Amino acid sequence: MYVAWTVKHKPKTLEEVVGHREAIAELVSWLRSWEKGIPKKRAAFLHGPPGIGKTVAVEALANDRNLELVEKNASDYRTEEAVQKFAGLASQYRTLFGNKRLVLFDELDGLTGREDRGGVGAIIKVVKQARCPIVLIANNAYNPKLSSLRYYCRLIQFKKPYARSIAKRLRQICQHEGIEAEPEALEFIAQRSQGDARSAINDLQALAQGKKRLVYEDVSWLAHRDRKDAIYNVLRLVFYSKSCDAAKSAVDMADVDHNMLFEWIYENMPYHLRDLEDLARAMESLAMADIYRSRIRQTNNWKLTRYVIDFMTAGVAVAREKTEPAGFVPLRFPERIKMLSRTRSERQMQSKIGSKIRRRCHISGVKAKTEFLPYLKMIFENNTAMASGTARWLDLDEAMIEYLAGTKKQAKAIIKAG
Amino acid sequence: MSFEMWAEKYRPRTLKLMVNQKDIVERLKSFAEARNIPHCIFAGPPGTGKTTAALCLAHDLYGKAYREHLMELNASDERGINVVRQTVKTFARVRTLGEIPFKILILDEADNMTRDAQQALRRTMERFTETCRFILIANYSGKIIEPIQSRCAPFRFTYLPREDQDSYLMHIAESEKVRLLDEGLNAIFEVCGGDLRRAINTLQAAASLGKPISNELVYSVIGRANPVDIREMIQLAMKGNFIDSRNKLREMILKYGVAGSDIIRQIHIEIFRMKNIPEPWKIKLADAVGEIDFRLVSGANEEVQLSALLARLIEAGMTMRRSG
Repeated sequence: MYVAWTVKHKPKTLEEVVGHREAIAELVSWLRSWEKGIPKKRAAFLHGPPGIGKTVAVEALANDRNLELVEKNASDYRTEEAVQKFAGLASQYRTLFGNKRLVLFDELDGLTGREDRGGVGAIIKVVKQARCPIVLIANNAYNPKLSSLRYYCRLIQFKKPYARSIAKRLRQICQHEGIEAEPEALEFIAQRSQGDARSAINDLQALAQGKKRLVYEDVSWLAHRDRKDAIYNVLRLVFYSKSCDAAKSAVDMADVDHNMLFEWIYENMPYHLRDLEDLARAMESLAMADIYRSRIRQTNNWKLTRYVIDFMTAGVAVAREKTEPAGFVPLRFPERIKMLSRTRSERQMQSKIGSKIRRRCHISGVKAKTEFLPYLKMIFENNTAMASGTARWLDLDEAMIEYLAGTKKQAKAIIKAG
Repeated sequence: MSFEMWAEKYRPRTLKLMVNQKDIVERLKSFAEARNIPHCIFAGPPGTGKTTAALCLAHDLYGKAYREHLMELNASDERGINVVRQTVKTFARVRTLGEIPFKILILDEADNMTRDAQQALRRTMERFTETCRFILIANYSGKIIEPIQSRCAPFRFTYLPREDQDSYLMHIAESEKVRLLDEGLNAIFEVCGGDLRRAINTLQAAASLGKPISNELVYSVIGRANPVDIREMIQLAMKGNFIDSRNKLREMILKYGVAGSDIIRQIHIEIFRMKNIPEPWKIKLADAVGEIDFRLVSGANEEVQLSALLARLIEAGMTMRRSG
């Protein structure tokens, strides 16, 4: 069974939560104020970037203080009626069994677009009348649509934890899992996550699950690594089975989750299915699996997973009509995953520069990436005088200049020229 | 010293200075003289002066301090319904001080607004007409909903004719003391085809190399600015080389951040342009492209779905070869 480590190793008590000391202290003091009657601000509004442990902190808090936690996230309260349905819950402090209660509205950012028929207004109503503590969570509290709600809440900011705090947490998880990990490897993962503890733990799991030792090389992806045997056989099953059942059994054999298995199949398929018509059919089947994945995302109906599996395994297997089983075909690590992680910081940098261009050039940040960035790069690589003037005009910082210039040396020359 | 990028530095500030789109400019001038404008839609391909015309019009209406009466929003960055509900409404309903009783809101890349946001916009436009006029800018006016179109005066911008683009570039080259060879000028027109922003950016990037601008130099700039060629990706697929064409696709999406919707739009255009595809096949391929486009819109993964499209192109290529 695949259990996400983010779930398995979720902190149970506030002690175990990584970082956020100040924010947690504030949250606790607000909760304490309830002991003396209903405080002025009946809701606490926790905000901060994704994956840093806002929800986890609230859950741990409820656990520590023995509160009954009523948790709702965006999919539950898109409409006014939906919010009202559990408004009653918030109108009582103690439950039937005498436990105190804490109501959590998570993922307020999700309240966007077409379906938010009065959702925010309804939440405000609940907060105003609440007789038990309410916690709201969003990534961006300053989102205009939440402005009226802010007024009724105690705002508590959660900041990105330091890489070393994340690394510490990763070390604890490795200890639990019986994995001996090189500090450099964990630090690398922590650094790369840029404060997103959740993604760091997910990365760790993808890299380390089922291993006894985790070394720096595993992490830096450089060598094509050796989870090879297991996955190699799984893939052969998918590509060369004659029956649907056999192909589907691959899923149980794989020690990676469906999404990762999908990536392995997608990456390696063209190297196995040499007949182009076979390949086209198989690719279409994978595309169908992908469509079911998006349907699952949209409806949260996980039962649809069975169709994802059908299409990505059996569908691919039956697509093979002419291709004969090949001999040894080297296994390829999913390039997409590699590229995504390699290019993540690059894409972030592009967006940052894009928003600088947008301020100056009457163009969207998105378009600036394709309409201006490539030309800027050439200018920065070749002409320090022009580059330094432009950098000043666009108000670029050193990191941006270095990205555009390509090398540290050129960046220095540009900054000096200014 | 701070230097503006040339595309910005040489952006005309008043309608009088706009050299192209003569008919449109004349009509806009008459608005400025009458001190009154209707809601407008400026539609047309990129780099043809839509945003510039809007800014110039505002300048001519309000004078130097025109920025105080103007708000620019970019729908690609802020496309949701909430922007209309909050930002736009707040701006639109407050009366401005001054001789002209309305403000101007420029909504750039408006074809990227969601339909919901457009619906919301429609009411806002109506309610606050007295205090605010809207200029919607879009590549495709077809993506703007009918009720909004009917409330706006339409202006259709077209690619700059060769002479206009050339004279503009020569003017820039002269002011910047850059040697622009005739062959370089030719090459820029050939690759930018009347998209003046791209032409100017190309000129500046080429000039940054500090050599006289020859066609070779222009092509090297263009080669770097458009690192992956959609046409090449299609050709690779039709020849049956899935792996290489998929690599091109990945580079585009992951490395250069090109949006799936842009890729599919270009594939669609390319298919009808390619001479080695028999006519009846073009329409069959359009069907495949449309299907994938729909899937992307409904939220499927860009790379996987576009790969599936490449696989279909492979099939088409094979069948075409078989039938000769």
